Amino acid sequence: MGGFLLRKVGAALVVLVIASMLVFAGVRAIPGDPAIALGAEDRDPALLAQIRHKYMLDRPLPVQYVHWVWLALHGDLGVDQRELPVAHTIVTRIPITLEIAVLSLVVSVIIGIPAGVIAAVRRGKPEDYLATTGALIGLSVPHFWLGLLFIIWFAVDLHWLPASGYVSMSHPIANIEHMIMPAIVLGTGFAAVLMRQMRSSMLSSLGADYVRTARAKGLSERSVIWRHAFRNSLITITTLLGLQLGALISGVVVTETIFGIAGFGRLTIDAVNQRDYTLIQGVVLVTAAGYVIVNLLVDILYSFLNPRIRVS
Amino acid sequence: MSAVDTVTLTTPRARRRILLRKRFLRRPMAVAGLVIVVGLVVVALFAPWIAPYSPGATDFNAILASPSSKHWLGTDFLGRDELSRLIWGARASMQAGFFATVVAMVIAVPIGLVAGYYRGWIDTVIARLTDVLLAFPFLILAVGLAAIFGPSLLNATLALGIGAAPALIRVSRGEALAQREEDYVPAAIANGASDATIIFRHILPNMSSTLLVQATLTIPAAIVGEAILSFLGLGVQPPTPSWGTMLQDAQSYLSQAPRLAVIPGLAIVAAALAFNVLGDGLRDIFDPRTTR
Repeated sequence: MGGFLLRKVGAALVVLVIASMLVFAGVRAIPGDPAIALGAEDRDPALLAQIRHKYMLDRPLPVQYVHWVWLALHGDLGVDQRELPVAHTIVTRIPITLEIAVLSLVVSVIIGIPAGVIAAVRRGKPEDYLATTGALIGLSVPHFWLGLLFIIWFAVDLHWLPASGYVSMSHPIANIEHMIMPAIVLGTGFAAVLMRQMRSSMLSSLGADYVRTARAKGLSERSVIWRHAFRNSLITITTLLGLQLGALISGVVVTETIFGIAGFGRLTIDAVNQRDYTLIQGVVLVTAAGYVIVNLLVDILYSFLNPRIRVS
Repeated sequence: MSAVDTVTLTTPRARRRILLRKRFLRRPMAVAGLVIVVGLVVVALFAPWIAPYSPGATDFNAILASPSSKHWLGTDFLGRDELSRLIWGARASMQAGFFATVVAMVIAVPIGLVAGYYRGWIDTVIARLTDVLLAFPFLILAVGLAAIFGPSLLNATLALGIGAAPALIRVSRGEALAQREEDYVPAAIANGASDATIIFRHILPNMSSTLLVQATLTIPAAIVGEAILSFLGLGVQPPTPSWGTMLQDAQSYLSQAPRLAVIPGLAIVAAALAFNVLGDGLRDIFDPRTTR
């Protein structure tokens, strides 16, 4: 077990280091001089030189990289164009985005898992067709468009919910009112993926030998489905959650833009649009780190659920 | 059985083609998908002749006009004909969908083939790098690349292609690994075939059905991706029509003219759905075992 953990953590670290290099190199490849961007209208060469010196832009790239990583490891991601600390900005935005992500995961699990189980158990019946067709539509409807439709229906026409904005969790009711549309918009697409995966792994579980044995023992159909087939299908779902994280992050970016929520996703787009080097660097690094860490956790969780993985 | 059939049935390849066509025609959803895909391609190719108006022609006497016999789908906030913009928008979508997939394939297939065929350290290096690239969500990668290259349809297409490549590398690597174990590989080696011959003349053709299915499923992702990038202002630039920019324009008029936000979205859904259904159908006919 120790060796397995060590190998997984080591691989994650390697991925993270290469990712940080790519982020660093990628940001350097963006056209435009960061010193000019930082100096705003002021093109005074002396000032630009001073800025370059302050941000180490006059040093060789490897030196800049090591310096950046060193500071990043100490929680310092530099300051953005408005002289605000990037790490602080990111830390204040992340809870908002996490709330959307968690709520949409809840929505997708509530819809996707039961739908997948029902579709598999009632294979070839109307329920199955309904669920699979629903999933196909869910996969093909881009969530940013669904978001616009929701705003038209629930905010503009019916006046049930606010069209955009964010209210902190200290006002729970207003918070949920603002979050419910983004969560459903993002959650339904993910529910479609979850449903398809749940259906196919339930189908293979239901065809497995241990299910036949369970039936032969005379167990009730409910017990066969939930205690045996369902529990084994959950293992695949765990992996899927890790793999879908990237899609979830992408989805959050767009959803936050549509609903005017100043979260981490919106910050990413703003950083790119404003060509704010330090901010882009920090945001993308945090995204990659988050992705690697979650996948590492999923790998470890997976090995607990399925001991065969640890051995091989 | 007619005389023509007897002749064609003699070669195994022709027999397989007939079998595949039969299987395909038995799937009404896949056939419908193909019809819509062909329709969209025709519309995209012949947009200048099909569109009733120029997509940029403004009519300030008919701003946000409702659908009428003159403007079937009404007009937008500059009095431009919505139908004409939708037809021209198909061009941007199809271009992004097809070319992004081509870019992704050109990058991914050779890399995947080399990794899967040679295995060893080169495979390990490629697999690790793919992991790294997969650590950047598809859209974040595309957003970043659009930021580096500057916003335009071409750059968005490149970004989407590069963004889709890592997943395709995985698929083609896995397929190459499997094909390498087939009996025809040692047979070709015994015949004195070089590595290049084995990879390109033997393994690649055997992967073609998998790659075709993957391509059909990558196109809709790229179409939606183009719409998202254009919507965020990182793809097609106004006034050039694209379904994404049309949605972006519509955002300011959700209460006055909700139809402007509904119509381009329906077009995106129809295109994505058609390609997805076609891809699922192709997968089923090439490999009936995976039939859901």
